[in-house]
Amino acid sequence: MARTTTSRRGFVSSLANGLMTIPAAAVYAGLTVVPVGFAVYYSFTRYNGIPSQPPTWVGFENYARVIQDPIGDLRPAVVVTTLIAVVGAFLVNGAALALALLLRRTTPFNTFARVVMFYPHVLSALIVGFLWQAILGPQGAVNNLLESRGTSSLPFLADPDWALATLIVVIVWAQFGVQLVLYLAGLQAVSPELQEAARLDGAGSVQVFRHVTWPALAPTVTVTIVTSVLSLLKVYDVVLGLTNGGPGDATQTWAYEILAVSFANNKVGLACAQAVLLVLVAGILSFTIIALRRRAEEGAEAVG
Amino acid sequence: MTRTSVRSAVRVAVVAVLSIAMLVPMYIMVVNAFKPQQEILLSPLGLDLATATTEHLAAAWQNTSFPVVEGYAVTLFLVLACNVVAIGTSVPAAYAIARTPGPMFRFLLFFFVAGMFVPAQIILVPAIFVLKATGLMGTLPGLVLFMASTMIPFTLFIFSGYIRMLPRSLDEAASIDGAGRQRILWTIVFPLMRPIVATAFILNALSAWNDFVSPQLILGPGSEFKTITTGVYAAVSTYTTNYEIVFPTLLLAVVPILLIFVVMQRHIMGGLSAGAVKG
Repeated sequence: MARTTTSRRGFVSSLANGLMTIPAAAVYAGLTVVPVGFAVYYSFTRYNGIPSQPPTWVGFENYARVIQDPIGDLRPAVVVTTLIAVVGAFLVNGAALALALLLRRTTPFNTFARVVMFYPHVLSALIVGFLWQAILGPQGAVNNLLESRGTSSLPFLADPDWALATLIVVIVWAQFGVQLVLYLAGLQAVSPELQEAARLDGAGSVQVFRHVTWPALAPTVTVTIVTSVLSLLKVYDVVLGLTNGGPGDATQTWAYEILAVSFANNKVGLACAQAVLLVLVAGILSFTIIALRRRAEEGAEAVG
Repeated sequence: MTRTSVRSAVRVAVVAVLSIAMLVPMYIMVVNAFKPQQEILLSPLGLDLATATTEHLAAAWQNTSFPVVEGYAVTLFLVLACNVVAIGTSVPAAYAIARTPGPMFRFLLFFFVAGMFVPAQIILVPAIFVLKATGLMGTLPGLVLFMASTMIPFTLFIFSGYIRMLPRSLDEAASIDGAGRQRILWTIVFPLMRPIVATAFILNALSAWNDFVSPQLILGPGSEFKTITTGVYAAVSTYTTNYEIVFPTLLLAVVPILLIFVVMQRHIMGGLSAGAVKG
């Protein structure tokens, strides 16, 4: 009966339903889709953002500049961002999964520990950056402690390599709580009977993890990898608080390059070309990860 | 001791050590907010009650570059207003998408979901030109609309997934009783969506609360409106080694959100995993 009603009034009904999407579509299109379009357009122009000087079409000049990189502006940022995304994603997911296995059972102690692991995520990344800068800076808490003990201070934020490593550790500290919560939710879905059966068959805890828990977690792993990589690719606020890109350009990320270098210097065309490339990379990477994970997830269905 | 009890003791010890490590930065921030610069430098971990002072906290409270109370008011307004716009527009759109068959609406869902892969701060530069062209640049409505537009893809996505799980017979029964589309949506479907609306609200609230780039660039550094994050930036960024300013300012900025988090932790962390499972 329902089907005849829909088909009789099908067109009118779809039209009325279409109208209901207009407010959301208007806000989303106006301030996300249209800006993406503008970004693509501006990326082919030379534009300083001043209304009286309209953009001039320059074709692929901005992209050529990004790729040839004559004064070395974006390339170091791409290297920094790649390191943050790859190393950060491994550390975030490793720490989160290990802790999720430790904190799996819901006891008051574990609930407390979960809250403690997660809390940095409710702080803004900018504040996390400023806080760690006050702790690890040349005059910061840790170095003052080291000096008062007669040990020499450590260049957490002063040396380029140290600064990048410090930045990654701080990001991991602030972010792994999110993935921890996701892994805990994923572990809830792993069938306890299956694990029990494996244990009765004589599997040790490592084997149970490898052959039952890990395959069953596959869909969760996809979500945690994609969400962590996406958020690591756009790291900006924490850099601003912790190092402000320094020393030199050692911790300037891709997003930092777009906002604090190109856009801040009124190179709107170049900033947009860099932004378009970052959006493309983020999109391609997400879809690649999802596609690569599909096989693992099919395995999960077999186990679940 | 049996083997399992040894193992659980080790587990508790490891977790306890890690928990303490996670909390050390907060401890350093709290104790140093009550100390003069000299003492912060000499003994960063100690707190001498004889010399502890609230002088610097009071100074941070009165700092004109970070008006604390107004900062909280503006931030809270952003959290509520962005959620009203994002949820208010996503509910009918998600309902229409979930309940209409056909490739048009599947494409529409894809169109919205694609936005989840566009990082907000990356699209901010061209969005500024759209806001300028519409006269919304530098205004709170402009900021709210931009932030809401970045929330719509995820909000709409989890809503449409949730509505699809609600039985269609509910809508049909009401429609036979003569209820109109809007009435069915707001009086029957929307109340059933409470858990997913709460999830969306919490996740959107966190991202609005912690957003720095959007208010900083859209309102402008010289704006009369300061959020918590732009206020902290204005107060701290040029004095990062003046710890008499840094620690008290950061303390004022994080205490309320931490209190809210501790009270609401079950809902916040639950909302996050619910959002991921649906997403």
